[in-house]
Amino acid sequence: MKLLSYIVIILIGTACSSDKDNYVPIENAKLEFTIPSNFPDPTYDIALNPPTEKGFELGKKLFYDGRLASDGVISCGFCHIQDFAFTHHTHIVSHGVGGALGTRNAQPLHNMAFMKEFTWDGAAIHLDLQPIIPITAEVEMNETFNGILKKLEEQPEYVKLFADAFEDQKINSDNMLKAISQFMIMMISANTKYDKIERNEGSVFTAEEAAGFELFKTKCASCHKGTLFTDQSYRNNGLPIDPLYNDIGRKRVTGLTEDIQKFKVPSLRNIELTFPYMHDGRLKTLDDVLNHYSDGMVDSETLDPMLKDQTGALGIPMTAEEKQQIIAFLKTLTDDDFVNDTRFSEF
Amino acid sequence: MKNIIYILIATLVIVSSCKNDDEGTIKTFGNVVLDFKNTINSNGIELTTDSYTNGSNEAYIISELKYIISNVVLIKANGEEFTYPVDRSYFLINEEVLESKKVNLSDISAGQYTKIRFGFGVDQSKYPLNGMANFIPTAEESGMLWSWSAGYKFLKFEGTYTANGAASADFLIHVGSHGTTLDNYKEITLELPSTLTIEESKSPEVAINVDIAKIFDGTNTHSLEVKNSIQVDAEFAPKIAENISTMFTATNVSN
Ligand code: HEC
Ligand code: HEC
Repeated sequence: MKLLSYIVIILIGTACSSDKDNYVPIENAKLEFTIPSNFPDPTYDIALNPPTEKGFELGKKLFYDGRLASDGVISCGFCHIQDFAFTHHTHIVSHGVGGALGTRNAQPLHNMAFMKEFTWDGAAIHLDLQPIIPITAEVEMNETFNGILKKLEEQPEYVKLFADAFEDQKINSDNMLKAISQFMIMMISANTKYDKIERNEGSVFTAEEAAGFELFKTKCASCHKGTLFTDQSYRNNGLPIDPLYNDIGRKRVTGLTEDIQKFKVPSLRNIELTFPYMHDGRLKTLDDVLNHYSDGMVDSETLDPMLKDQTGALGIPMTAEEKQQIIAFLKTLTDDDFVNDTRFSEF
Repeated sequence: MKNIIYILIATLVIVSSCKNDDEGTIKTFGNVVLDFKNTINSNGIELTTDSYTNGSNEAYIISELKYIISNVVLIKANGEEFTYPVDRSYFLINEEVLESKKVNLSDISAGQYTKIRFGFGVDQSKYPLNGMANFIPTAEESGMLWSWSAGYKFLKFEGTYTANGAASADFLIHVGSHGTTLDNYKEITLELPSTLTIEESKSPEVAINVDIAKIFDGTNTHSLEVKNSIQVDAEFAPKIAENISTMFTATNVSN
């Protein structure tokens, strides 16, 4: 009787298994996702796509693989270069397949898990969806998802990596995007001098940096807010329209006239490395940026009210010395550990 | 000994059915076909040839008609719902492709259903919806992704029109959600004209009439003279989406 019960149990146990259960799962350890103590909670729901060793490895391989583009060359990493906090620094606007010119400056990739929306105008409302834009854009990677999936299926290493990384073991767009996200959400940059001071880890500002920080708090932090240095809103900071691109900004996403020429307030972390600046990379240096805020602003319907006083004067008044102090402060936002972190490096 | 036989039988049943639910009662499953019939004035649509007239007295010829249906739920008279697995619940209806208009649903819990609910478009409030991204290749091949944005076009409706005897001009109506500021996703619930019986080894069909003329003349009236190109249009896209939510009717159930 007892023996029979065992048989019964075994039968029931195997009853509902399908073929894939015969595959012996490899050890796929979960990666530690640590929220820096001075950071807010992540917006990315980590529980729905917990980064694992294999998922991260797959995501990284995809990120640096030209197979995601029609020419086999332009990978995500081509435009997002680690040394420059994952921007395309030598280019004002990004260059894609066949040297095609985009219209916007590649954004840095760091602390993506803490952002609500993506790109300069918020065209992607979830990180998992963001890669759709570069992959399918003619001026970027100019590929199709079917095209990529086919290429990946032909590569035994990918077949194995997908199988190791995901329970259903499938090569499909869902898993591909999840893997890329796993790679990107691990890219946390929180080890700057500024962070070490904010977390009381023993660093101190120089007198110039400290003065710059005080100025920054009154003149810039209303938009470049909090420890992420962005309130994640869309605003017009008074850049004149460039007739070459005539970029309408956030209006492209919402269709609302009130959003014309508004762009996402960018995080200023690693700003020393992510030149050139602004959505179209029109400003080459931080000096240029500060000069824009003090003297370069043009008025328009959607210019942010904070950048205009009661008398109608535009911009943020600053002396030359104050500008240098702010720049000194901004340089405390550079994270050398992050740009040298081999976990994120191509080689 | 009798006990043993019972246990053995029970085990065999479980082993072979493989679809035991929580209570241990055995469920059976069946299929259904949703037959989307795009019509104008109760007649099927002839792309690129036939001319139709909208409520604003504009004559139009349709060259392309595609839309996304998602999140299908079957509802019983007592309100009990069967939710079709979300990761398999995205369908592209393309007037040009006959098979696309017959949506095959399988593995539906057997029973008597009186209503059906589905989504027009993709419900982005549920991102990341499990498996949602697996619809990308299909949408992409059919041009149902905005090229510059990471979102779906829910409706792609294009053609030419003439108004007041003027020369013909193109029209283009693309409706989707606008980032997080405007969600044009619509949930549509239809009463079935008679009870749908889902049973094993049966293949019932539900005919759904889709009155395409309502895109122009539903809750709102849209004149192409006023606006012949609607893409990310905060004013007109939501009105068209409202119209769309009135264009579906379940006309027949054949069990
Ligand atoms: C041709 C250059 C290019 C390639 C290739 C490219 N990107 Fe980008 N990336 C950009 C540009 C330019 C932007 C800003 C886009 C905009 O605002 O419209 C951007 C923005 C982003 C953002 C949004 C960042 C933020 O802060 O909102 C993410 C995430 C991103 N890219 C990830 C990727 C991934 C993943 C890939 C590969 C699948 C990739 N990119 C390929 C140029 C590129
Ligand atoms: C009213 C809101 C607002 C204020 C105040 C503001 N900024 Fe900005 N900042 C923005 C927006 C919006 C952008 C992006 C504009 C674009 O690219 O079109 C931006 C861009 C930048 C950039 C370029 C970032 C990059 O990745 O290219 C820098 C650097 C910068 N701001 C520094 C500052 C400094 C320093 C101050 C204070 C002197 C300041 N900002 C004040 C809204 C603001």
